[in-house]
Amino acid sequence: MAESSRSRRHRLLLTLRRNLFASPLDGLITLVLLAVCGSGLWFLMHWALIKADWAVVYENVCLYFNGIFPADHVWRSWSWLAVLAALCGLTLWPWPLPRPLMRLLPLLWILSLPIGLVLLASGLGLEPVRSRFWGGLQLTLLLTLGTIALALPLGILLALGRRSSLPLLRWLCTSYIELIRGVPLIAVLFFGQLMIPLFLPEGWTFSRVLRAVLSLGFFVAAYMAEDVRGGLQALPRTQLEAARSLGLSPLKTITLVELPQALRIALPALANQCVASVQNTSLLAYLGLIELLGISRSILANPSYLGRHLEVYLWLALLYWAVCILMTSLARRLERTLNVTGHH
Amino acid sequence: MAASAAPSPPSDSGAQPGDAWSAGPELAVRSQELDKIFSNGFQALRKVDLAVGKGEVVVIMGPSGSGKSTLIRTFNGLETIQGGHLEVLGHHLDADNNQKVVSKIRRHVGMVFQQFNLFPHLSILENVTLAPIWVQKRDRQKVKKDALALLDHVGIREQANKYPSQLSGGQQQRVAIARSLALSPRLMLFDEPTSALDPEKVKEVLETIRTLAAEGMTMVVVTHEVGFAREVADRVVFMDEGMIVEEASPQTFFTDPKEERSKLFLSRIL
Ligand SMILES: Nc1ncnc2c1ncn2[C@@H]1O[C@H](COP(=O)(O)OP(=O)(O)OP(=O)(O)O)[C@@H](O)[C@H]1O
Ligand SMILES: [Mg+2]
Repeated sequence: MAESSRSRRHRLLLTLRRNLFASPLDGLITLVLLAVCGSGLWFLMHWALIKADWAVVYENVCLYFNGIFPADHVWRSWSWLAVLAALCGLTLWPWPLPRPLMRLLPLLWILSLPIGLVLLASGLGLEPVRSRFWGGLQLTLLLTLGTIALALPLGILLALGRRSSLPLLRWLCTSYIELIRGVPLIAVLFFGQLMIPLFLPEGWTFSRVLRAVLSLGFFVAAYMAEDVRGGLQALPRTQLEAARSLGLSPLKTITLVELPQALRIALPALANQCVASVQNTSLLAYLGLIELLGISRSILANPSYLGRHLEVYLWLALLYWAVCILMTSLARRLERTLNVTGHH
Repeated sequence: MAASAAPSPPSDSGAQPGDAWSAGPELAVRSQELDKIFSNGFQALRKVDLAVGKGEVVVIMGPSGSGKSTLIRTFNGLETIQGGHLEVLGHHLDADNNQKVVSKIRRHVGMVFQQFNLFPHLSILENVTLAPIWVQKRDRQKVKKDALALLDHVGIREQANKYPSQLSGGQQQRVAIARSLALSPRLMLFDEPTSALDPEKVKEVLETIRTLAAEGMTMVVVTHEVGFAREVADRVVFMDEGMIVEEASPQTFFTDPKEERSKLFLSRIL
């Protein structure tokens, strides 16, 4: 017993030495890196626990999450966030769930956006709240979900159009994709905010939020289209021939045979686009939306929180990071479920 | 619906070769001077004349690249034809493959591929029920029952809820056969159904096809399985360089071939 534990310790020491102190230079590098990391961590902890004043965060929690949503209706905003949290929890639940609930989950996710719109805007007897009162994390998530809900179907259609046998359609889709991919997002967003109103008929107005979702959605769709196209191209031609031989129409071949497989292949890339979309919504702070970054900037503009940038941005980083981690885990979960029921 | 208003006998195609040509009720397939030229200019079929009677089992043999696959793929419209005439189950196919005619033909013609081509994202049962539900629009419950019976018939009922990748090649090919049979086809096309299988799996698939033949199914089978051809085929068709070189009963073809090219081919595979 003692013998083996000593030999194990011996082996551990050997491994450490081989990996970290193989030569004098290696040893030096290891020590320097340790010193840098250690002092960095020490500095951060010292700052976060002693010097930082987190009042700017905890006094404004409601603002970060709900923006300037009217106080007597703010429960609606909280409820929507709670719905999303519950959906995430159910989806990521590591233990088996009742089958009917599992079946219902995709539908619930699809419904999460309309539910959010009802809760935030109006409907079902709720008093209307104008979209300029939406903000904070709630608006960031709404923008993200709206963008995905628009970009995914549009991206699929663009990808299908790009390989259509109709030359005009193919040309249009290809040009659209190439054009959008050649323009920076911020330009598209400015275009959306400033130009969409000019194209609308007299008397029509689109709220800023809708304009933002439209521009983000049309932008992301071009990238998603390329991911879906990659998935479609990865399918062997013989799948198509098998479907055709069974008498499936071109439309049914696409929806029943090609797309389910292509989307599965494209899933990691599509998830990537979704995570990027979360971060891209922050650009809208510069176009007057008070989503997570926007509301933080207004909080920082309050004289009583003068110079509290570091606290706020660290807190923001944490929130964005949490949202992105959640989305990545959701995507991985979906991937795993799909792999269990098919392929490999 | 407009299609059914057109005259139902296959006399609506552009080029009218006259009554003498029409395949008649006793023929499932008839081709006359069939030409296939690929878009790169390569001519894969040269004036192929072939008739397949109802209930007949025709085996096609020939060296690689001789156009065997191309020929049977024209029968269900997977390849267009560039010249000649082709009639399948009473429907005329011509150079500008009418999509409506093609889809009518496909409803009654099953095809089994060398690489099985099952749909990997669907379970075995879903593979078999897909076309009856979405093409024939039949009742799901009934389709499912029939599909299970078919899977039983080809000996893989226990695997119904598995996915294709979980099955052996031989089992996958039998599922592919069941998938085609689910549409109650009147003609089955097989393109080297056993070439991708391990030797010990060949038998089970051939057994399934043999049973089908015994039940009177009309079949065109591309294969190099001589034993199978001898036993099951009514006729052997030997192709080379896009042409039919020799047509004979299996007895004659394997023991006393007429053409030099047939002899050469047989000396290589026997
Ligand atoms: N899409 C295509 N474009 C151009 N040429 C083709 C195409 N498909 C097949 N060919 C050519 O047509 C010829 C006949 O091909 P086919 O697949 O019918 O041969 P096969 O007799 O089935 O051969 P194998 O025994 O190898 O399957 C070959 O020379 C092949 O290279
Ligand atoms: Mg072939």
